[in-house]
Amino acid sequence: MILRRTLCLLDPLRSSVLLNYPGVAVAFPTVEACMFSTNNSKPDPIDQVDKYGKNISKAMKSYLERAHEHDEFMKTQREEFQIGKRHLANMMGEDPETFTQEDIDNAIEYLFPSGLYDKKARPLMKPPEEVFPQRKAAEFDETGRPHHFLFYTGKPNYYQVLHNIVQHINDLYKYENTMLRKGLKPDPNSTLELSGYQWLDKMSLENTLVETLGDKDYDCFVTAIERLSCLPYSYRVKDFIFQYTKPLMNQVQTYEAPKPQYDSEGRAYVTTYECLRKTARGDVTIRMPGTGNISINGKDITYFEDIQSREQLLFPLLFTNMQTKVDIECNVAGGGPSGQSGALRWGIAWGLRSFVDKEMIEKMRLAGLLTRDYRTRERKKPGQAGARRKFTWKKR
Amino acid sequence: MEPMKILFGKCKLFQKTLRLSGIFLQQNGMSQYPTYYIPPVYKKDAQEELIKSGEATKLVHIPTRAALSDQTSSLAHDDLVNLFINYCMKDGLKQIARQIVEQSFQSIKKIQLEKYHKCESEEDKQKIELNPRVVFHKAVENCKPVIHLTPIKRGGVRYQVPVPITDKKAQFLSMKWLITAAREKEKTVRFHLQLARELIEAANNSGRVVKRKQELHRQCEANRAYAHYRWS
Repeated sequence: MILRRTLCLLDPLRSSVLLNYPGVAVAFPTVEACMFSTNNSKPDPIDQVDKYGKNISKAMKSYLERAHEHDEFMKTQREEFQIGKRHLANMMGEDPETFTQEDIDNAIEYLFPSGLYDKKARPLMKPPEEVFPQRKAAEFDETGRPHHFLFYTGKPNYYQVLHNIVQHINDLYKYENTMLRKGLKPDPNSTLELSGYQWLDKMSLENTLVETLGDKDYDCFVTAIERLSCLPYSYRVKDFIFQYTKPLMNQVQTYEAPKPQYDSEGRAYVTTYECLRKTARGDVTIRMPGTGNISINGKDITYFEDIQSREQLLFPLLFTNMQTKVDIECNVAGGGPSGQSGALRWGIAWGLRSFVDKEMIEKMRLAGLLTRDYRTRERKKPGQAGARRKFTWKKR
Repeated sequence: MEPMKILFGKCKLFQKTLRLSGIFLQQNGMSQYPTYYIPPVYKKDAQEELIKSGEATKLVHIPTRAALSDQTSSLAHDDLVNLFINYCMKDGLKQIARQIVEQSFQSIKKIQLEKYHKCESEEDKQKIELNPRVVFHKAVENCKPVIHLTPIKRGGVRYQVPVPITDKKAQFLSMKWLITAAREKEKTVRFHLQLARELIEAANNSGRVVKRKQELHRQCEANRAYAHYRWS
């Protein structure tokens, strides 16, 4: 059973194309057609040599040989993976037919517990397609002639994107001119709103283009696409621009509050678990209607001796004007007063979402009540007095 | 089989936290928040202003940082007072610092009330500010310098060159001077009492701190011949 496969397969064609990328696939649809290398049903490389005789170039010949080798290798790997999966399922006492990848991961984590910090260094078992990345199919035909017109730039996909951007810019200029001649102005209602989005970062752009990019390349891309999106008629190429953006925030998580349940007295209640801040952990139950009673670990608000913590606890209630409409019960453990009150503040705010309207939720979000505060104490560094403070400098 | 299942459950939980932590992949120095997070607008009036001006619709899609543990929407909260508490703080004992500042505000109220009741005419009574927070704001505003001196080395000689200062620096200097003035006192006088006196005096545009500001301005005036060293 192969549990761990290293990614260092010596292969010149490693940096390869994932052909399912929509933007790029549109850009050069011919690539798909030339994917004859990694497919087993295609004729053997020897046949190819016979068929084309002396016409086939040496580079092409060696490429075909390598592709054939790789196909064989992947085939054996796939078989081994299947066998390993069956073994694992039997060891775990489950049905091998319905054993999913998630089950495999769990089984590996159970059977080979690893104390290693880096997740990449821990044992894993994945289908070979994931472990060995897909290879770039031939970008040239049998005679060695490249399909893509930007092949010799070395980064055809990247330059194709830039090319498309410029094309769009020119088209929009032309369109603007014609509209000006007609005396029309761009529609103010449909201007492109990009405030909630950011451009793809360099890593994900590299992944989508399957080419390594330098910092300068990425900057070029950003300036180009920003220039495109600044144009007055940029909403006409909305789809193209949005391919290279990602939203800044997960809205669903903030706005979808759970429906309150009802207790024996007929009062609606919501319980929020896992309220955390620093090392404090707690849970908060909010009951509606109530009279503003607060109980923390069985005590009232005087559980917190300092005023700042009490203020923090009341912050979401004051903000939503609910301080006399709900009852609050909470349990906290760990940490100090500041951490505990912070944890409860988040828990109360998170639970109150179920009892207020959406506008108020948005206000609470803007007030920073619904964001988890993940900040913690910064560790002390060796060779320093503290996290940032250095030792007093002595000449000798 | 039972412990195994628990373990699987834990694994799943772990995966969930992993997915959450994926948000923070975009590193921003030592900060826990990515660069595009905006600071929270925790005051109700500030939020209403944003909504009125239409800025709020733009912020809908931008995530906010969590409000800090000394920020609330309560009416008793004041940003400048908060900052002042932090400047008064020693060794991170915020609770004590806050207590002292609040005590000094109490003393301001007491002193002002005493003055108020001693006044005989209605006109004099009108002149006395009873709200300690307003007194504090006035005091800080009155102690702000507009220019200060920085040493600049030219030809092996250090010249004290007058340089204009930013509003933030001026505010810091004013609060720092107020605190140092309050600390220069006899041992029998409590800090909060001395601070209250200084604040009231500064609010009336008199006292040691305002004098210090004027002294600095006078020095700047005396050194105006060196002003060109700032750029040459």
